[in-house]
Formats: sequence, C-alpha cells, structure tokens
Amino acid sequence: MPELAHGGRWYRRKIHALQVLSIVLMWGFLAGTASWMFNLVRVSRSLGDALTASVGISLVAVPAYTLVASVLTYVFFGLRRGRRRPEEEE
Amino acid sequence: MPRFEPSSTQDEVLFRPIEQPASRNFQLAVVALGSIVLFAVFMYVRQLVRGLAVTGMMQPVTWGFYIISFVFFIGISHAGTLISAILRITQAEWRRPITRMAEVITAIVLAIGGLHPIIDMGRPDRLLNVFLSGRLQSPLLWDVASITAYFAGSTVYLFLPLIPDVALLRERNKKHRWLYDFLSWGWQGTERQWQVLHRAINIMMIVVVPIAVSVHTVISYIFAMTLQAGWHSTIFGPYFVVGAIFSGIAALFVAMIAFRSAFGLQAYLKPVHFQQLGKLLLAMSVLWTYFTFCEYLTGFYGSEPAEMKTLLYKTGGRYAPLFWTMVICNFVVPLALLSHRKLRTIPGILAASIAVLIGMWLERLIIVVPSLENPRMPFLTHLYFPSLTEISLFAGAAALFALGFIVFAKFFPIVSVWEIQEGRALALQETEERVSSYLPDEEVARA
Repeated sequence: MPELAHGGRWYRRKIHALQVLSIVLMWGFLAGTASWMFNLVRVSRSLGDALTASVGISLVAVPAYTLVASVLTYVFFGLRRGRRRPEEEE
Repeated sequence: MPRFEPSSTQDEVLFRPIEQPASRNFQLAVVALGSIVLFAVFMYVRQLVRGLAVTGMMQPVTWGFYIISFVFFIGISHAGTLISAILRITQAEWRRPITRMAEVITAIVLAIGGLHPIIDMGRPDRLLNVFLSGRLQSPLLWDVASITAYFAGSTVYLFLPLIPDVALLRERNKKHRWLYDFLSWGWQGTERQWQVLHRAINIMMIVVVPIAVSVHTVISYIFAMTLQAGWHSTIFGPYFVVGAIFSGIAALFVAMIAFRSAFGLQAYLKPVHFQQLGKLLLAMSVLWTYFTFCEYLTGFYGSEPAEMKTLLYKTGGRYAPLFWTMVICNFVVPLALLSHRKLRTIPGILAASIAVLIGMWLERLIIVVPSLENPRMPFLTHLYFPSLTEISLFAGAAALFALGFIVFAKFFPIVSVWEIQEGRALALQETEERVSSYLPDEEVARA
C-alpha cells in the first residue's frame, strides 16, 4: 500500500504540515481547556466560592482530555515510525 | 509481513456510494434536508433579532424545546461510541458492519446537541461568561466539560478505525485525493502500524465507556441537583444513562435500515444483526420501564405534597396523554414487536425503533416541562406551548443530523471495509481458539 505515491514535493509537504497542524490543534484545545479551568478555579478562590468542587472537577476533566490527545499523538508518531523504508518498498 | 492486508478491490458495494456520481435521490435528499436546515437558521436569526420572546418560554417555564432536544440528542449520541465500544470489548463478532454507523451517529449528534444550550441562551455572546466567570461547581459547567471530553474522545474513536479505510480510498480515488492523503496519516499497512492502531483503538474503547456514562449522568444532574419536585432524585443518573442507550440503539436501527435500503447493503447488514441488536433494544426497554416504575413509585409512596402535585399533573393531568403515549411507545410497542422471534423482523424493528424515538423524546418533555409548570414557590403558573421558532429549530436539528450522515457516507464507507475483511480472514480461527480457551481441556473431560 503506497503512501503519497503521487504529487510533488510541495504537495507532500503541505499534506504533512496539515497533519502536524491537526495534532497541534488537539494539544491547543487541551491547553485552552486547562487554562479555562485554571481561570475558573482562580475566580472561585477570589470570590471565596467552593474551591474544592472546582479543583475536583478540573482534576477529573484535564487528565481525560490529556489521555485523548496523547492517544492521538501516539498514533500519529507510531504510524510515521511504522512506515516502510524506501529499500523495503523496492 | 503484516498478518492481514485489506484489499481495495474487494467489497465494491461499500465503495460505490463514494465513487459513483450522486444519484437523483441523493440530490433530492440533500436539497430537502438543506432547505429545512436553512429555514431553521432563518428562524434562529429571527430569534436573535427579536429575543427569546419568539419562543413559548416564559416564567416559570424557562426551559422548553431547546433543553428537551439537548437532552434527547445527547442521549442518542450514546448509540455510537458506547455500543461500539461495548461490542468491541466483548469481542462480539457481529459488530463489524455496525460499529462505523454507530460511531458516526455519536460525532454528528453530539455536535448538534451541544448547540442547543447556546440557542437556549438567547444571546450567544453570553457564552463568553462561561469561560470568563463560570462556576465550576455548577452542574451546567460539568456538562460543558464532560460533553467536550466526550466529543473529543468519540471523534478520535471514529477517526482511528477509519484510517485503513481512508488509505484504501486513497488508492482507489482521484477525487478528493488530498482529503484521503491528509486523513490517512501515512498509512501503509505495515505490521508495526497495525500494532499501533490496534493498541490505540483498545485504549480508546476502554476510555470512552466511562466518559460516555459520565456525560449522561452529568446531564441528569442539571435536574437532579435542584430541589424541584419531579427532578430531585438519586436514580436520575442511571435512569438517564439507560434512556440514552435505549434511544441510541433505536436511532442506530433507523440509520442501519435506511442505509441498508439506500446503498443495497443487504449482504452486510443481515437479519442476524437486527435479531441480535433487537434483543438489546428489548432488554433496554424493560430496564427503562423498571427505572421509570422505581422513580414514580418513590415519589408516590412519599406523598410529599409538591411531588404528588407534579406526579398527578403528569399521569392524570394536562400531560397524561403524552405520559401514557410515552409508556406505550417505550414499553408496550417494543415488548409486543421484539419479544417474539417471528415479529422481530426488519419492518417490526423499524416500527419499534420509531416508537422508541418518539417515546424517548416525550420522556424528555415530561421530565423538563411539568416540573417547571408546578413550582414550589407561589408563582403565577404559565402553561408552555412551543412556538413555530422552537418547532422549526427542532426540525432543523433533525434534518442536520440526517444531512451530516448522508454527507459522511458520500466521502467515507459507512461500513468498515477493513473490519469486514479482517473478519473474513482472521476472525473465524481467532474465535475458534478463543472459544476453546473458555472450555476445559480435553484431557480434563476424558478424566
């Protein structure tokens, strides 16, 4: 099964850049969510609100996002490393 | 050498909808569904200009069709990832033609369901307040966190098993080549790549189960955490999860039957698949009835005045016709059509599934509105009637779901090609070995 058998060098680079971007976006989403939760914990502390509830929710939610992003990243790099070498293709 | 290599020249029928020009029926469906969606967008813009006064909501009934649809659509999303994950975990071999459709339902419906609280806000700019100064101790914010986690998880869970099929499409197609190149992530089908993919799918199928269960539990908390009569219940979490799986299986059946007929998938979606999943729908119907009975019995036995007022309002008052229709749709019809093998035919299952979808939508209505129409405080009671805007937006959401599904089917196989081929090549031997491993050794039997 070939990979990008057609298309010039620029085409391949563009596709590769888009693939890297999709992983970066996933981690950006995770960073955004984590900073949102951190902000809400800060707000709850400054208002003297129930801080433990906010911290508790964050401690559950952030690792769940991290796990999903990690699995996606593992697949991305795993598939790259698992490709055939050019001499194997011949 | 990889232990299995899918072929792009087999199972032609699964590639046909993608590669052949759009049929007249497909075009008509897209135009019809697109028109409904556009009308809903127009009605939403009108609501933005005129405010929530165009809806039927008014104090004390501040949640109506939008929140009912939100709970209903998020419930349907359980069809996908949860059912697919459970079937994969239990290694149910009949899952192979079903999982892809189930996973697609989740991704599309979650996106649509998630929009409803924003529509309900009236002013979408208020969403910014959730990010800037929301209260994480509010169940509404738990919803935001769990639904986004579920959406991320189920999108990844849909994408991973799609990679080998996208690579097959990359080999076959000149059309949309860049899309398939982008999404195949350099897939060549080497042994190492298969190992990575299987490991990731195995992790995700475990991870998505607790996330999916937590999502609908948390959705039930937006009701159960209040002291409102009819809502303040400890079994609301599991009751909502059971209802979600129940409606999800029904939606999956409707999708399976529609695509089976439209794409000629009779050889892939066989009566045996409907029989097996039909038993699960029947089991969920009985479980849902048990939970409903428990929920209402507890309220009735306690005889707390506010609780009794709401209960009688639902079962014998203004909502009685809807309540008893719900019972017929969710219990009587599935029991009649699914409990006997001879009646558990594809038309019978379709009728039961449509009844369940109607019944579960009514269940959401009966949970949300009657409790609000009977407040504990002596407010002037307002009777809720949905406006044209709310009905149009519900129709638009349903049309968007169908449109999303058929557009997906135009780009990707609706049945997982590699899983079918893997089943043919490997599953028979693997299943034999697995079953042998469950049983005592022959030497033990002889002794």
